[in-house]
Amino acid sequence: MSDKLLELKDICKSYRDGSGKRVILDKVSLTVGRGEFAAIVGPSGSGKSTFLSVAGLLLTPDSGNVLIGGKDVTDASKSERTMIRRRQLGFIFQSHNLVPYLTTADQLAIVQEKSMREKVKIRELLSELEIDDCRDKFPSMMSGGEKQRTAIARAFINDPDVILADEPTASLDAERGRLAVEMIRNEVRKRNKAAVMVTHDTRVLDLVDVVYRIDGGRLIPEAKSGEI
Amino acid sequence: MKYALKEILYGRKKYILIELLLILLMFMVLFLSGLASGLGRAVSSAIETMDADSFIVDDSAEQLITVSSVRTSVLDELRAKGIQASPLDIQRMYIIRDGHSEKLNITYFAVEAGSFIEPETIEGTGLAASSARDPILLDDDFKLDGISLGDTVKDPATGLSFTVAGFVDDRMYGHTSVGYITIDSYTRLRQASDPMYEHIPHAIAVKGNADYGFEGNGLEVVPKQKIIEKIPSYTAEHLTITMIVWVLVIISAVIIGIFNYILTLHKQKQFGVMKAIGMKNTELAGMVISEVLIISLFAALISLALTFSMAAAMPEKMPFYLEVPNAVTVTAAFVLISVLSSMLSVINISRIDPMKAIGGGEE
Ligand SMILES: Nc1ncnc2c1ncn2[C@@H]1O[C@H](COP(=O)(O)OP(=O)(O)O)[C@@H](O)[C@H]1O
Ligand SMILES: [Mg+2]
Repeated sequence: MSDKLLELKDICKSYRDGSGKRVILDKVSLTVGRGEFAAIVGPSGSGKSTFLSVAGLLLTPDSGNVLIGGKDVTDASKSERTMIRRRQLGFIFQSHNLVPYLTTADQLAIVQEKSMREKVKIRELLSELEIDDCRDKFPSMMSGGEKQRTAIARAFINDPDVILADEPTASLDAERGRLAVEMIRNEVRKRNKAAVMVTHDTRVLDLVDVVYRIDGGRLIPEAKSGEI
Repeated sequence: MKYALKEILYGRKKYILIELLLILLMFMVLFLSGLASGLGRAVSSAIETMDADSFIVDDSAEQLITVSSVRTSVLDELRAKGIQASPLDIQRMYIIRDGHSEKLNITYFAVEAGSFIEPETIEGTGLAASSARDPILLDDDFKLDGISLGDTVKDPATGLSFTVAGFVDDRMYGHTSVGYITIDSYTRLRQASDPMYEHIPHAIAVKGNADYGFEGNGLEVVPKQKIIEKIPSYTAEHLTITMIVWVLVIISAVIIGIFNYILTLHKQKQFGVMKAIGMKNTELAGMVISEVLIISLFAALISLALTFSMAAAMPEKMPFYLEVPNAVTVTAAFVLISVLSSMLSVINISRIDPMKAIGGGEE
């Protein structure tokens, strides 16, 4: 299998805006390899979420190609996309977005594929994320940090190729936000996955391998802060 | 199923209210359904329980025994063919207890003593075994009027007195309790006002559903169920209450559907997230349908239990008669329509865009 777990090639996406159209992504390309953690920064409204949605097969680009695990999935059917999202992608959202009536163990079990039960042990994952004691807790009984870590665990439950995180620190304070990103990084390294995180939180950028800035519909590599 | 149950248990406060409402409605449905058959029974039980399969009436009687008359020779012809047949007269009257003046409604069923249409007594003896000249077997509801075995009851119009020889169970006709008398007593009753009267039976009850060869001869062979439906008021009452029952069943099921739909509308983002992380529409639909199934089954079982325990505690005179197959049909229909009504939510879920999961947390 290719080491380029996620490849986006010349992605264009524009929205209708009144009479004309607004270009959000203008021939954007990105490749993320095995064990690599990329961050995308940019001001609000610059197209970060749009980009992530295209990468996550939630939004079809106007043109360009999406490859996951080396396979072109641009033209996959709706149900194929659903299966790819379930098996090859792991999502971490802005707010935890857990199911309110399920305990942590059930949050993971409800999406875990049967074939993954041996490969990814819920108990191990929870202890790596230091939330063993949240196993039987409902989201309402957990702190914001614990909830976000549960969401991180959920993203890894089917041993996906690619992790996509949409502003994972947005609902957390600085310290917990940093911890959450650290944990994503640790899991990505340990499990040798590719990860893309969209964020406007520049304080966590030292934790990632590459940083891109999205601006004017373009994706520009940026020198990492702290790296001189 | 498992996760639907978890959701219900987690949000139990919300579900308890809707369950209470549904249990009440379904209880009403079952209660009315019992009342419908009870009233139906009060109109027809004496015919329903009669050990006959069809009745021969004259074809101008519109299948109504009370206005029919069948020449006696027919009885002999039937019997000559080896067919079990017995004459039946039905006459509505009233009686008074000895030493009382209160008139009690009664419908006489005049039968041949010892014939197959004479019911088994639950107390006392049959008509043939009684030594009285004019014995009568009364429906046991008359006991509630203070009548007991061996009492005499009088027909005030003719002055004829009957001796209560026995009691029978569950025999009503046209909302009145039935009294079984002999053809001889009936003839005397009629002759008291019309000395020229000679007995001609209203109808002939027959066992077995064969074609007797009397059709077109001024006679008609009518199956028992048809005779019941033609008893005045039977169809009108039965149909009205049955309709109310079904309207209530549908309303209850639609209430679940709407409740479920409102819950679904409140969970758009949650469903969006579930879809984004790769849950299929069919999985989500399965959860929603199981939820409705659990809610409706629970309401159905509780209301069944309630209704049957209340039926056991109900005063005897109450015309309530709920048969298990009837109750099961109504509740099964309720569960089925509920599940159908959840399709509204299923359609809504299938339209939710998983993009909802990404970006700002509106909601
Ligand atoms: N469905 C849509 N229809 C029209 N415009 C949209 C739609 N979604 C996003 N946009 C616009 O696209 C731009 C980029 O949005 P988004 O990708 O959410 O940016 P970011 O996540 O960087 O804040 C914004 O100006 C937004 O208003
Ligand atoms: Mg955004």
